[in-house]
Amino acid sequence: MERYKSSIPTCLYKLGFIAVILCVPYIIRNLYYLHLINLIGIYCLVVIGLNILTGYTGQISMGQAGFFAVGAYTSALLMMKLGLSFWVATLIAAVVAAVLGIIIAIPALRLTGPYLVMATVGFGEIIRLILVNWVPVTRGAAGLTAIPAPSLFGFRIISEKSFFYLIYIVVALGILIAVRISNSKIGRTFIAIREDELAAKSMGVPTNTYKVSAFAISAIYAGIAGSMFGCFSGVASPDAFTFNDSVGFLCMSIIGGSRSIYGAFIGSVTLTFVSELLRFMQLYRLIIYGAILLLTAILMPQGLSGMGPVFRKFSHRWKGKRRLHGNIQHSQRKER
Amino acid sequence: MKGWDILYYLVNGLPIGAIYALVALGYSLIYASAGVLNWSQGDMVMLGAFIGYNLHCLLGLNFILALLITTPAVACIGMLVERIVLRSLRKRSSPPVNVVIGTLGVAIICRNLALAIWGPDAQLFRSPVGSVPVEIGTLRLFPQDIFILILGIALMILLQYFLKYTREGKALRAVAQDRMAASLMGIDVGKSDTLAFAASAAMGAVAGILIAPLFFVTFNMGAGIGLKGFVAAVVGGLGNIPGAIGGGFFLGLIESFASGKISSGYRDAIAFTVLILILWLKPAGLFSKITKETV
Repeated sequence: MERYKSSIPTCLYKLGFIAVILCVPYIIRNLYYLHLINLIGIYCLVVIGLNILTGYTGQISMGQAGFFAVGAYTSALLMMKLGLSFWVATLIAAVVAAVLGIIIAIPALRLTGPYLVMATVGFGEIIRLILVNWVPVTRGAAGLTAIPAPSLFGFRIISEKSFFYLIYIVVALGILIAVRISNSKIGRTFIAIREDELAAKSMGVPTNTYKVSAFAISAIYAGIAGSMFGCFSGVASPDAFTFNDSVGFLCMSIIGGSRSIYGAFIGSVTLTFVSELLRFMQLYRLIIYGAILLLTAILMPQGLSGMGPVFRKFSHRWKGKRRLHGNIQHSQRKER
Repeated sequence: MKGWDILYYLVNGLPIGAIYALVALGYSLIYASAGVLNWSQGDMVMLGAFIGYNLHCLLGLNFILALLITTPAVACIGMLVERIVLRSLRKRSSPPVNVVIGTLGVAIICRNLALAIWGPDAQLFRSPVGSVPVEIGTLRLFPQDIFILILGIALMILLQYFLKYTREGKALRAVAQDRMAASLMGIDVGKSDTLAFAASAAMGAVAGILIAPLFFVTFNMGAGIGLKGFVAAVVGGLGNIPGAIGGGFFLGLIESFASGKISSGYRDAIAFTVLILILWLKPAGLFSKITKETV
């Protein structure tokens, strides 16, 4: 929608935004914060995929860490054992993750709601247990260490700063592609499946094909993110890809607003920073964290990115524009 | 496979299956009444184990007395979860995934409160019925296992009685069948939700006290058991009470056979693979009729 209206000022805003983003590593000197920002970028990629699957297509996945793990291990093993470059390894990792996404989509096609949740939880656990037990290849619980750093034209991407550019270029591409998908016919079909699968089917939509492709797309995002995560942290061990991590991705998706691509970014920023900011509380940190999850789930059914209309409603109320307020309430009701 | 082997796996799988069945019943009961997933179910098990540990091992209370105090206490917590969390979510007609996140929040709060109160160490809960095994041939039966089976099955029968013959139980079944129609008939659907949460939490608490002597009592024991109970409930068909019991025992037996016959490391992976395959063949659970949605 924005695209057609874009004029010089919005262009300037966008350019300014990009400029600010590019300056981030120079503004934030603290390496620990930069590390967190990089992690946020990686999580954001996973959550974008999850939003396409869960928010747009309505297929709840609680096994996203499985695809993430597959991406990390595949690319790390290809780089370590076969000496492939990071880029080729990432490409293959994405393909492997997509294939797995299609495989898990086959039983998932017939499942809805809690049954689908169970199947995806099971998938995530199966992947983790294979990583733990297939010791000759994955080195078991100890995990892979000394995963080589990616290099581009002889320039080794190893510092936090260089990783920042690598990760955020991929994130920007990821957001761009996801927005294009969500605004296209494919995106509208996903939403149709979420809203009423039966109606979509009776309109002649090949729902199965689209559901499988939603799984594949989300797996590709998670796979690429995993591949970068492996190189970024230098290690990949099974306890980085547990059920709790899948749940964490889902929380980021819901809190940011699973029905928006930008919500993925908002969610991963919010949860990562909240969890870091609460560190001073030590023992009580996770209690507060749980309370925040609970309160956002209750108070913001559409997540943070869905708060726009609510804020607008309040600001209009303050300005006394009650007519608009009624409209917004009406449209919100339709959303449900 | 020799006959003794099969018996051995049965003996190993049944008690843990009974525990899974109790937790699965909790998920199923709540799903039947309120139509939501309650992810704090596993932590009710943990709370049951900890409160029981506190009363029985620290205060030296009689085991039965401890059980009788713990169960209603945890049931109250379950009721609170329904009153505070589910009702507020319902009021805003949130999508089901928000209920998942909300109850996950409750689970995280419970887990870390337990960590704050009881500390990170695993606590030893001595079995109230002793630990001298009874030997029959090459088979060794532990008294705690038998105790779990007896108490678990007794509780399941009690639940069936409650659902079939009491007024509240009948109301709950009516709500499970058709929430709208039940509310039109004057049944208080909110009360039935509260009841389902309380009963689920109570069963979780009993499961927690029963399993405490088998494993240590830790603040994060709820995560694993909760997940297994959920899986058992789903495989049996969510909302299906006999299905949940069947699913629990089925999962316990699969795990026992998988760890004995194939590999203990892959035990859970095998169990999950089997369960996903079952869901592929029977998308609404092992014990449910397939109902295809039509217009």
